[in-house]
Amino acid sequence: MQTLSPTAPLKLSLSIDSTVMNISEPEQTATSADTEPDVTTVTDVADVDVANESAEERRVRFERDAMVYVDQLYSAAMRMARNPSDAEDLVQEAYTKAFSAFHQYKPGTNLKAWLYRILTNTYINLYRKRQREPLQSNADSVEDWQLARAESHTSSGLRSAEADALDHLPDSDVKSALQAIPEEFRLAVYFADVEGFAYKEISEIMNTPIGTVMSRLHRGRKLLRDMLADYAVDRGYIKEADHMTETEK
Amino acid sequence: MGDCQSLGDCDDQRIGRIYEYLDGALSREDLGEIKAHLDGCTDCASEYDLECVIRSVVKRSCKEAAPDTLKAAILSRLHEGRSAAV
Repeated sequence: MQTLSPTAPLKLSLSIDSTVMNISEPEQTATSADTEPDVTTVTDVADVDVANESAEERRVRFERDAMVYVDQLYSAAMRMARNPSDAEDLVQEAYTKAFSAFHQYKPGTNLKAWLYRILTNTYINLYRKRQREPLQSNADSVEDWQLARAESHTSSGLRSAEADALDHLPDSDVKSALQAIPEEFRLAVYFADVEGFAYKEISEIMNTPIGTVMSRLHRGRKLLRDMLADYAVDRGYIKEADHMTETEK
Repeated sequence: MGDCQSLGDCDDQRIGRIYEYLDGALSREDLGEIKAHLDGCTDCASEYDLECVIRSVVKRSCKEAAPDTLKAAILSRLHEGRSAAV
């Protein structure tokens, strides 16, 4: 690894450093949404003397503990950025920032959630600044019509008979469906359903109150169902009529 | 129509419950309640099944492997930072 040239992709050379502040003190947000102290997953805390470890020791510890999440963070980044190249840049930046803030990470607390928070912050800061894709500036209207439509369908949008059909949807359809729902909803759903984060963890990662997380999840899942149903109809896996409400029939 | 008489009215709420159940966010007593309900209500049971399927499909579809070049780049930058920091 040492032999690698230092020509790591640096395309996102925007003022990254100024974005670190949001995530540099993770302990602070832990108490914002809830009275409980942060959920500490007891891992191998094994007497890490953060204050006195050398830079080299810290790097080794970081590599050992944080790099195992690279695939997961990349998968999440793919739900944020819209293409592999941006996703890679995002993950690269997130790791760089995480490493530079690693002395502030409290060993024994939830490292995965900590990394996700950094990734999410990186994404928000980077993309908001960049404004190459005006971050769901039309989220409200999209959301409104999508929700209205989702509401008009049966509560489930799909019934159990159709559940089987979903299994046959190609990954690309499922990803597109997810991509089609507004970002805050999409990320909440992703964090909960794919990563299995608890509401409280999601609230910390997204820096929003738990109530907001829950409503985003609720609405996001509805939207997702609706989108998935559309794809299933398009593929001919289910009939349009099956997907209608009583009144639509 | 299943056993839920008021499907429609409390539907939304009930789906919410199913979500919370799957999210592991219910209190112990709520847990007992929803479990009992799922046993008796075919509509909600299929709702539950459907939600499970959706989650597994999403999980399956979103699994990506970080490119090796990315991993190498991250490590490279970590090492780079070490020398730069001195």
